[in-house]
Amino acid sequence: MNKLLLGAAASVMLAQPVLAQDKVLTIAGSGGVVKEISERVFLPAFEEATGWSTKFVAAESNILLEVRTMVASGQMLYDAMEVSASAYPQAVREGLLEPIDYKLLDPNNELPDKAKKEFGVVAASYSTVPVQRLDKNPEGRKMESWSDFWDVEAFPGPRSLKQQPEYNLEFALLADGVALDDLYDVLGTEEGVDRAFDKLDELKPHIPVWWTSGAQSVQLLSDGEVFYSTTYNGRVGKLQESGIDVEIMWNGGALHTSHVGIPKGAPNYEAAHEWVRVRTMRPDLEAEYVKHLPYPNFAPGLFDAMTEEQAKTMPTYPANADLQFVANEEFWADNIERIRERFDEWLLE
Amino acid sequence: MSARSYLWLFLPALALLLLFILAPAADLLRASMFDPDFTTEHFARLVTRGVYIDVMLRTIRVSLIVAVCCTIIGYPIAYFINLQPRSRQTILLFLILIPMWMSILIRTFAWIVVLGRDGLLNEALAAVGLIDEPVRMLFTSGAVLAAMVQILLPIQILTCYAAMTEIDFDLIRAARVLGAKPRQALMRVFLPLSLDGTITGLVIVFMLSMGFFITPALLGGRQDTMIANLIEFQVQRLNWSFAAALGLVLLLLTIVMIVLLRGLGRMAARRILKAGL
Repeated sequence: MNKLLLGAAASVMLAQPVLAQDKVLTIAGSGGVVKEISERVFLPAFEEATGWSTKFVAAESNILLEVRTMVASGQMLYDAMEVSASAYPQAVREGLLEPIDYKLLDPNNELPDKAKKEFGVVAASYSTVPVQRLDKNPEGRKMESWSDFWDVEAFPGPRSLKQQPEYNLEFALLADGVALDDLYDVLGTEEGVDRAFDKLDELKPHIPVWWTSGAQSVQLLSDGEVFYSTTYNGRVGKLQESGIDVEIMWNGGALHTSHVGIPKGAPNYEAAHEWVRVRTMRPDLEAEYVKHLPYPNFAPGLFDAMTEEQAKTMPTYPANADLQFVANEEFWADNIERIRERFDEWLLE
Repeated sequence: MSARSYLWLFLPALALLLLFILAPAADLLRASMFDPDFTTEHFARLVTRGVYIDVMLRTIRVSLIVAVCCTIIGYPIAYFINLQPRSRQTILLFLILIPMWMSILIRTFAWIVVLGRDGLLNEALAAVGLIDEPVRMLFTSGAVLAAMVQILLPIQILTCYAAMTEIDFDLIRAARVLGAKPRQALMRVFLPLSLDGTITGLVIVFMLSMGFFITPALLGGRQDTMIANLIEFQVQRLNWSFAAALGLVLLLLTIVMIVLLRGLGRMAARRILKAGL
């Protein structure tokens, strides 16, 4: 009898792990549209499931900086956080993340292996893609490849790239004729890096401004300050809606996966897992989310609920995915110090 | 009571200086030399790679140009205001204060609207038929200079004006009574008396320019990078020690330049006072 009671109590507690009304889960993530949609889709679902309230903190580009400071001071303010593709290896190396307890998160093993990392679950995928202003193209011509992006004779006009070496070196090598599959073999050698920088040298005079935030890249395209620029695929829909004649060139884009993780010393470790579940494993919510932002994740059964038209705007839509390379974050984590210093000084030259 | 017994009145200011200026500066020095063990690599990197020297020289050059432009434009405006009746002076000063109270970020963004490819200036030039294709004005050094001068001009005007209001106009009258032409009275009495305040304004504008960050970041290209931009960049890159070294260099450069500018300014003032113009 006693055991039964205990069992019942335990199951009640499991079903409603956190009932207290004054409990607040603090989540850090991107601002802008991402924040807007998260607040509409995921946060209410989490609140409904747990009875907790939530606080979503928009931390633009330096989330790692914040978390590192919080870990150092022993004062972690976030329970869960977005960990971008490029931040993940570094965050892991510096021990800024708690391991994910998959027994707690995914007891029935529904997530594919690809989605599960030791310190984070894939929450979204996105691409860094070149975008062209169709109305600025020469009559009857359209960019098809990175070679076209580099071809300032055939496609005159100012261009922009992100102010960082990551993926730009890959893009330069693709423009120089390297095949998608050989990209990181070439880049892994000193000559490969030199080759990429030589190729970037060609384009440098035609880049009046290097963008530093996604918002800026979109603004530059929208104002016509540049005709061609890389940007994140999720930004392009809004741009098109506002009447700007732009198109993504999926060929040679960089595909990234980002994660949701739990920072070291998070005050509510278990509740954070519930948030991770809501964020990564609910196809109904995810379908709603990708209606607004084409950053799909591995929520089981997601693509079943989607029209083909919608699926085509997704970076993981097979026709798009085949044209892209998967950004190798391990490579960048290992080589970034060396290459970045060179890139930063190259920019100033 | 002697003056010495009032020295304790300096204590709050001293404490403030120690806590919020000297201590952080010392910490900056520590951060730039210990990463985590003692190292001079960051300073070595600064002086051995030409690109950083270029950025330092550019920062000084841009700041000097801005300070001189603000002085040339600001001095006559301050003089003009000073000549107006009291009530009109208030209105004119207010007109100068309003833009000064606006955030630098907003004023910089306003320049983007003016200078963009499809911006006001390009459209105006195209409308009157002066250009066929939009001219690139954004992301140029000219854009940075124009915006910095516009942003810092009120400071120079106000400093000059403050110096001018303290000049006893009886001195000008005395000069006129003694036979000086209006121009002579202006050049040989008024100008030298207002010179010290003008130099102070120039130094303040120079000092503020040295740390300018938002304007070159938004309106300039990579060829307009200033030290403050590099610092921000290195902090973003999590290279705190190198950023600290840059910060220290910026601090030292600014101090050296201020001393130099003040010294040169005083020398020039003395020469003008002695010889007249």
